[in-house]
Amino acid sequence: MARKGFRDFVDDLEQAGELCRVTKEVDPRQIPGLMAQAPEATFFENITGYPDWRLAGALVSTRKRLAISMDCSQDDIAFRFEEALGRLIDPIHVNEGACQEVVHTGDDVDLTAIPYPLMHVFDGGPYLSGTLVVSNDPEYGPNVGSYRLMYRTPRETGIDLVSSSDMRFYYQRALDQGKPLEIAVAIGLHPFEMLASSYKAPIRSNEFAIAGGLHGEAVPLVKCKTVDLEVPADAELVLEGELLPIGWTADEGPFGEFNQISGDVKWNPIFRVKCITHRRDPIFYLLQMPLENDWLSAPVTEAAGLQALRVASVEPVSIRAPVGSCGYWGLVASIRKRPGEGKNALLALLSVAEVKYAVVTDDDINIHDPDELDWAMALRVQADKDVIILTGARAKHIDPSVRAWELGKGGLPTTAKMGIDATIPEGIPKKFYKRIEQYGVDRVRLEDFL
Amino acid sequence: MSPLASQIVAVLESTPKQFSEIADAHLDLPWREFLQAWGEVRAADIVKRDGDGAYYIDAAEQE
Repeated sequence: MARKGFRDFVDDLEQAGELCRVTKEVDPRQIPGLMAQAPEATFFENITGYPDWRLAGALVSTRKRLAISMDCSQDDIAFRFEEALGRLIDPIHVNEGACQEVVHTGDDVDLTAIPYPLMHVFDGGPYLSGTLVVSNDPEYGPNVGSYRLMYRTPRETGIDLVSSSDMRFYYQRALDQGKPLEIAVAIGLHPFEMLASSYKAPIRSNEFAIAGGLHGEAVPLVKCKTVDLEVPADAELVLEGELLPIGWTADEGPFGEFNQISGDVKWNPIFRVKCITHRRDPIFYLLQMPLENDWLSAPVTEAAGLQALRVASVEPVSIRAPVGSCGYWGLVASIRKRPGEGKNALLALLSVAEVKYAVVTDDDINIHDPDELDWAMALRVQADKDVIILTGARAKHIDPSVRAWELGKGGLPTTAKMGIDATIPEGIPKKFYKRIEQYGVDRVRLEDFL
Repeated sequence: MSPLASQIVAVLESTPKQFSEIADAHLDLPWREFLQAWGEVRAADIVKRDGDGAYYIDAAEQE
């Protein structure tokens, strides 16, 4: 099977009845509001003032659509991602790419020529959200991540580099030498590239090899026109340029964050765009915040949870990072438990990134059913024995409960973490959890009596 | 500065505005035209932000 791209995924959604195609002319300012009302992903064919562009968005705003992109069941998403992490496929280098069918340099560079959307009421400006950003460090090599870009001028955007990341590290190293950091921003890619860019791979890792593992085929990369970087050749749109060596001095935000809260104004670097390339008939990708970001985050958190459980020699059966936890702060897992492993599993899950709560159940509980989960927590948990609380762990600024605003500039917050062991406690015979079975249910069929 | 950009400056000198409020005040204009004017205002390096993220211009500082 040929490697699927962004457009193939849009087609897959349409065939699955998960795409709303809007043919009437819409103003760019109407798009986020229309998108918010559509239960499906949306595709806008006729945008006022942008005759060459179409726009697709909210493509993976549900777990169902994410599962379609990964060609697996919703319950298998984490295992599918984990499998890809175990079979990395390095990218290949190609000489030409559809992303460079049209090239704008010099005076032709104009960000207002793309349908740059204003997404939320309290945003500090229009934002590009579904980005894959490539950077490079002479010692550590290429890095891929996803960063939002706030429109400032036709050739400049803000970029959020507040949180610690490999690219922030690269930028700091360039800044220390008084140099800009070249970056390239690719937009309009298959969710596999977006998932890989979200994965917190160790420095020197190649995120494109993770995307290759997901595709089962190498990602083709093409050299940029004006910076010494490579981007996926089949992207819809690419911005090339550099982060100016000004440090964290320019206002950026607020933006509707992935934590489902309007953020604050932050102080960040500026991205100066030197070149814009795109397809001849480009499709702009609007990643709908927060749900699309959260569903893309969930498999990354879940796969990290699976890996942590396996390192702890605990056998996972199912795992999910609830979208209510933004796919980031919570993990729920069922395990095939041996004595003591409920607690081992919690310690493993709480070691993942900034996960701050975890729940572990036995494998008889369907953790995707909230009522089942509540039942396990109600009847298998004694809080004085089965709840673990850790303090002083690494945290994320945008969790308001860590009070990051009380820290000085550049301060890093910490958080408490909680684990709930909802497995059957050691020493309680399983017979005390024998579930009710309705008498005679296997011998009759209701439809025979209607 | 274009007349439209000057108009935005005048508004921000009188009262802080969220970006969406500035955009809403210019719904009659093509989005691209508005963004270009906003780009002029930002390029002039005169806008500031208040505690709620609203934009404003300190008129006294400009004199």
